Amino acid sequence: MKLRIVIDNEKEEEILIYAHKRNSLIESIERLVESTCELVAYDGNGAVKLNENEVYCFISEKGKTYAITEKEKLQVKMRLYQLEERLGKNFIRLNQSCIGNTEKMKRFEAEFSGSLTVTFKNGYKDYISRRQLRAVKERLGI
Amino acid sequence: MNKYVKEFLHRGLMFGGFGPIVAAIIYLAVSYTDAEFFLTAKDYFTATVSVYILAFVHAGASVFNQVEHWSLPKSMLCHFSMLYVAYSICYIINSWIPFEPKVLLIFTAVFVGIYFAVWGIVYVAVRGTSKKLNEKLR
Repeated sequence: MKLRIVIDNEKEEEILIYAHKRNSLIESIERLVESTCELVAYDGNGAVKLNENEVYCFISEKGKTYAITEKEKLQVKMRLYQLEERLGKNFIRLNQSCIGNTEKMKRFEAEFSGSLTVTFKNGYKDYISRRQLRAVKERLGI
Repeated sequence: MNKYVKEFLHRGLMFGGFGPIVAAIIYLAVSYTDAEFFLTAKDYFTATVSVYILAFVHAGASVFNQVEHWSLPKSMLCHFSMLYVAYSICYIINSWIPFEPKVLLIFTAVFVGIYFAVWGIVYVAVRGTSKKLNEKLR
């Protein structure tokens, strides 16, 4: 595969790949791009750069969006639907107010109420809505 | 307004209208099997209003399972109690069951049986799904 880099300050930065089929190189590039794509989040002291792979899930509470990391809850100034468009494929909508990172999920549990919940590796727990269940199953290959 | 109360009302208003439709279908089916079946305007009015309330409560009560700070026994007890009270009143005021202790006892037993049977079926299905999903996480 040829590699061509064009330095042009006038154009929007973009990586474009022409390939005959998807292969491991393309997937590695995808992962690399996703891991270097940083978000800006806000803690009590101001703005911090946030790598999406550090995020366990994004939640919406009282009209605000938060990123839940291993130990922190940081505000993100984007709506969930906007995040959904830019996040990598390891993120999936779990319900109306949560997008979860499948890489950070620990286990799924059936609740006695008949609902399905997911517990993340940091202990955070949220439910999977019936509307999203099919998408979650497909994403995990069921 | 509390978000759960709002959700209760929202769900109730969304699905309440299905009650009279279901009642109309049942009355139609009964009318085909019973040649002497007859409804007065009062019967019709009582049935329409009461099954609307029944469907409203049924849909709204599903929110109890999502009140995060409630324990499971509390949410199940509230869900069960609200449905039981709504169904009992609806059945009695429409004279679908007579107001007699023996009949009420049988009604209660059937209600409890069906409630927990449905709950068991749903729980087993969801547990199967969670097991499959967990296998994919590993």
